[in-house]
Amino acid sequence: MTNGWIDIKNTDMMLIMGGNPAENHPCGFKWPVEAKRERNAKMIVVDPRFTRTAAVADKFLQIRAGADIAFLGGMINYALENQRIAKEYLVNYTNASFVIKEGFKLPDDGLYSGYDHDKQTYDKSTWNYEGAGAHQAPSGKASQSGEAPAPPLAPRQAPPPPSLPPNVIYDTSLAHPRCVYQLLKQQYSRYTPEMVERITGIPKDQFREAADMFTSVRKDGDMKKVATIIYAVGWTQHSFGAQIIRAAAMLQLLLGNIGRAGGGVNALRGHSNIQGATDVAGIFDSLPGYLKVPNPTDKDFAAWMTRITPGSSKPKDWDSFNYYSNTPKFAVSFLKSMYGDAATKQNDWAFDYLPKVDREYSWVHIWDDMYQGKVKGVLSFGMNSVAIGPNSQKTINALKKADWLVVCEIYPDETSEFWKSPGISTDDMKNIPTEVYRLPGAGFAEKDGTFVNSARWLQWKWAAVPPPGDCQLDQAILARIFLKVRELYQKEGGKFPDPILNLTWNHLDPNNPSLSELAKELNGRAISDVTDAPTQTTMKAGQQLPGFSWLRDDGSTSCGNWIWCGSWTEAGALTQRRGTDDPSGLGIYPNWAWSWPMNRRVLYNRASCDLNGKPWDPDRRQVWWNEAQKKWLGVDVPDFKPDSAPKDHMGPFIMNPEGVGRLFVPLAGMADGPFPEHYEPFESPVANLFHPQQNTNPVVKKYTSDMDKYGTPDQGFTVICTTYRLTEHYHYWTKNNPMNVQLVPQMFVEIPVELAADLGIKGGEKVKVSSARGTYIAKAMVTRRIKPMTIDGKKVYQIGIPIHQGYRGIQEDAGRESKTLANLLSPTVTDPNAYTPEFKGFLVKLEKA
Amino acid sequence: MSNGTLEIKAISGHAGPVAGRDTSRDYDVCKLIDVTTCIGCKACEVACLEWNGYPFRETVFDNTYQTMPDLAWNYYNLIRFNEHVAEDGTFSWLMRKDGCMHCADPGCLLACPADGAIVQYANGIVDFNQDNCIGCQYCVTGCPFNIPKFNHETKKVHKCTLCSDRVGAGLEPACIKACPTGCLHFGSKDDMKDLADKRVKQLHEHTSHKSAGVYDPPGVGGTHVIYVLHDIDHPQYYGGLPKDPRVPLLVRIWKGPLKWLGNFAIAAGVIAAATHFVRYGPKKVEEPKKEEVV
Amino acid sequence: MSTAAATHYVSSDAIQRYTFHERVMHWLNALAYTYCLATGLAFYTPHLFWLAVMLGGAPTSRFWHPILGIGFFIAMIWMHVVWRSDMEITETDKRFLSNVEDYATNRDDRVPPQEKYNGGQKLYYWLMYYGTFLLLFSGLFLWFPEYISFSLAWVRHLMIVLHEVAALITIGGFIVHVYMSVFLVPGSTDAMIHGSVSRAWARTHHRLWYIRVTGGDPVGKE
Repeated sequence: MTNGWIDIKNTDMMLIMGGNPAENHPCGFKWPVEAKRERNAKMIVVDPRFTRTAAVADKFLQIRAGADIAFLGGMINYALENQRIAKEYLVNYTNASFVIKEGFKLPDDGLYSGYDHDKQTYDKSTWNYEGAGAHQAPSGKASQSGEAPAPPLAPRQAPPPPSLPPNVIYDTSLAHPRCVYQLLKQQYSRYTPEMVERITGIPKDQFREAADMFTSVRKDGDMKKVATIIYAVGWTQHSFGAQIIRAAAMLQLLLGNIGRAGGGVNALRGHSNIQGATDVAGIFDSLPGYLKVPNPTDKDFAAWMTRITPGSSKPKDWDSFNYYSNTPKFAVSFLKSMYGDAATKQNDWAFDYLPKVDREYSWVHIWDDMYQGKVKGVLSFGMNSVAIGPNSQKTINALKKADWLVVCEIYPDETSEFWKSPGISTDDMKNIPTEVYRLPGAGFAEKDGTFVNSARWLQWKWAAVPPPGDCQLDQAILARIFLKVRELYQKEGGKFPDPILNLTWNHLDPNNPSLSELAKELNGRAISDVTDAPTQTTMKAGQQLPGFSWLRDDGSTSCGNWIWCGSWTEAGALTQRRGTDDPSGLGIYPNWAWSWPMNRRVLYNRASCDLNGKPWDPDRRQVWWNEAQKKWLGVDVPDFKPDSAPKDHMGPFIMNPEGVGRLFVPLAGMADGPFPEHYEPFESPVANLFHPQQNTNPVVKKYTSDMDKYGTPDQGFTVICTTYRLTEHYHYWTKNNPMNVQLVPQMFVEIPVELAADLGIKGGEKVKVSSARGTYIAKAMVTRRIKPMTIDGKKVYQIGIPIHQGYRGIQEDAGRESKTLANLLSPTVTDPNAYTPEFKGFLVKLEKA
Repeated sequence: MSNGTLEIKAISGHAGPVAGRDTSRDYDVCKLIDVTTCIGCKACEVACLEWNGYPFRETVFDNTYQTMPDLAWNYYNLIRFNEHVAEDGTFSWLMRKDGCMHCADPGCLLACPADGAIVQYANGIVDFNQDNCIGCQYCVTGCPFNIPKFNHETKKVHKCTLCSDRVGAGLEPACIKACPTGCLHFGSKDDMKDLADKRVKQLHEHTSHKSAGVYDPPGVGGTHVIYVLHDIDHPQYYGGLPKDPRVPLLVRIWKGPLKWLGNFAIAAGVIAAATHFVRYGPKKVEEPKKEEVV
Repeated sequence: MSTAAATHYVSSDAIQRYTFHERVMHWLNALAYTYCLATGLAFYTPHLFWLAVMLGGAPTSRFWHPILGIGFFIAMIWMHVVWRSDMEITETDKRFLSNVEDYATNRDDRVPPQEKYNGGQKLYYWLMYYGTFLLLFSGLFLWFPEYISFSLAWVRHLMIVLHEVAALITIGGFIVHVYMSVFLVPGSTDAMIHGSVSRAWARTHHRLWYIRVTGGDPVGKE
């Protein structure tokens, strides 16, 4: 979330789409309700189903699953056509005025300029700003104190990737035909209400009403009101998921809603600590704090830094903080925390110890590799591998080929019992060689540590009860595995033992490191005395650092995750704070826990002020420029250079090298285009109306094994299916809890009344849903909450499946469930940016079972 | 009872007045259910079960999100899910937390013959005391909301207590505590009415729910559980909420005139017989012949 | 007294009025009815709730009331099988009923002679007979209200009132019955206990029956 849960109460307008917070975040949903009750905020819900959220919405639109970009593109078009935009914000805080290079082409035919049909990738060199003068090395402003200059390129090495021009040509009149604003207009002029209706199935009048309602916050140029966009995995789980979220961000930039209390683009996290997992590198292509992981072209530390440290890229009269110019400080401090004294300047801060990621290692890819026999074993902790990924049968078959599987769980789950999943006979079991180890883990209430919530708060929690019986904390299990591995390396050597042998492991109890030790390590400390030049204050060696501005690239600081620096300082664990004072009334609660970065509750909050540093809405003022003190002050922590005067025109989006928000994402930012374009889901019952010859995302990731099958309407797969969770259940866990089972005893398939009538299905009867990959059986819930849709004149049905069925659980064990996983149906197709599978919107066939 | 919070002002099946009859408290308690902000998450259902210590039960899928078709003796709190299509085609998914309404004029208490099986506290809570319950289920008959439920094994009737134990100790009911969206409120009846009226005004002025209203039915003297409904004209859409609930007329006749008439008739009959005896005495047997009596 | 009673019992003068079978039947019927009456009254008015307490507690009373109600019904049907023919209303009864005021004021000499049961007794019989059906019918609804859906709640309301009205009517008859048999007509209770009445009693109260069972006009003939 750019903002936070509580901040939603400050909004005037909500677009909830690609998420069902009432269902999946009922506790957080109190804030949307509060906004409705206290501010008369309006709530627009767009979803394939009439959801629990829709039940309390002011306006509900039923959309065809996967048509989100068409809808949001239509919204952008509506805002532009009707001038419901924040002009001053747009010109000064976004790249609307930036001029794009000649040769850049919009995807009228479904493809941006630079597409390579053979490799199915883009050459993105035209996706760039027009620069004045020659391009400079990208790391022009990067802090390289004492660094040796990058070595000259080896002759065989490819030319350096194109970089952003330091000096961007721009036109604040927004009239230049190649400026971002004009391209944007041109791109989305195609997304007319008529087109929106034909693609999404939302009648154009209803669409206009919703668009009018949402953009009404900028009616007549008023800047006081604020709108928020709230989403969850209903957006991410598409083969163009990242672009949907981009479209939302663009709409919010157009309306000037980002950085403001009650505004923002707000991702609702579906698990209690999923934000924390991504913060500490739950993704293969990043290191903790979203530092980009090294790849094989990074020959040494400097080359890596050169590649990942951006130089600022801005109009010459503007300023850009370009905070990522500090990347080397974060990277060195990270390596110091990993390898301690073994990371020295001489050995390039132990850069060689870091794995170099040569290609994609995303979830679906890992299992494909295992299915291809390349991955021999897996540690499955804190998840149910077989159940959570797409195409469960492929995962099960992959596990059959593995040598070993370690599952740490609190229940017997589908993964540890993959070898007796439905369809496997006793004889078959004998032929499965996989050695399965089931380790008794501890439940969330049995552990301490932090949860990072959607609002980026690091909240410490205390263990409520000790783990029962032989159950162990995760860190105790992992520590013992690590210590054993290290012992083996010590005894037997190996190809490259150094990263293992030199890993810092300074724990009071090496067999069971305490999470407070780890939290302090993640925050970071001074290795030798460090002095802050402006304030002339010093942190002594060994002291916990108060924030990431103290990090150094000379080895004098250590920090496991730079964005968390400041969470456990000399003042103690700020994550354990429980202060309930809220002096501003904006729900900031500055002394409750700690939110990254630097306890800021709303990101980019400089954008909540006009060019002169005055809040757009004085009633919801978050930060402001104090001319007398020459300083930014605020009720929230200013997300800005504290002494940058408004006249310097420093952009509020300090993490971008441009300093401004990106309507147009240049270069490698997005794999599939600088602007979002509507593509059909990989399995779709209709052709792409904009460009039938380029139906789906041109750079979509798909797989080619014999288990990776994709269906078409011609094969009889004509019904759109989407999957989701229920309030009453939590993934595949709660089917073991009688309380949850009581509330929803059996899984079901939600079927429109009309489709059920066509097929002669009555509520409560068993139905069979099949895709090209598998079959799911459950009872029919015949409902009016999903209506048949008309897509470009064609009748299209959608059905929905809650994901909570498995083959272990109270009802499953009692023989009252069909023991089919919802993900037996879903396809191994992923978004090319985030590698998230397309769980929302694939094709199935529906029959009576 | 020393605790004023739970002072009793009415007792079922009780001869004579009740100690707390004329007590007036500064405020009655009241639960406000703002149906327009209910998301049907069922937290209240679970909180209710857990507070009352009832076991989780086996339920059966029934083509709905609703946990089960009806309340049960050990399930006081059920969200009723209803799909409703208005005449103009507008669809709504209505979720209403169903449970005892704690009527000011409780039909259950009126109908109950068992001394002390049902009490009404001065704060408005209507509570069942199973120790005194005789299992006749007249309360079921007296209730216009279909709330009390019978346990076949113990032959006792149960219903929501409005957490009289918690309220007596100065806490809010368990469902209120668990509600995540603030759809449930608890406080004095005046405050809740006020809050409900404000919400209704807001719904009228700022939303499309022009017929929103407060459900505090006067037919039962008002209730200590009140609803804000989107459509006050059609409470029946919300899973059978009666439009104008009243203690059934026949129950009123039964417990009112008929009872007194019957009492009078019985007493009069007995008195008449006695009077007759005094006036006329026993009938004599004619003795036709002396010799016949030996 | 004891001598007199004993004398009376063995007296050759005695006429059997009720067989042993009839007496058992009557008293079972009476017992069931009285139990239902007492417990029913306890449920009916708080002022008589103590009756249920005395009878083992209100929950117990609620448990047995409907079961003994069934017992009462069975006894009534039994009675009907045995007494139905005796209880048919005849011209004689109509004459009796038209002179009931004389009967009620003990001017029995003005009352026409009666069969084994006079018109009043027969009326009481039929009142109890039909009342039993009403009580059973309405009582079943009160016994198992949980099986009546809420949409048919009016049925429960109606049945409660019906049960009550039926009960009150039988109670009215019952008061008269007890008063007359215990107080107003000495020898009646005795008859239902021992089975026989004196000739004089029979002749006085049920002359036609007396004539029928003794074979002629008794007055001075024997």
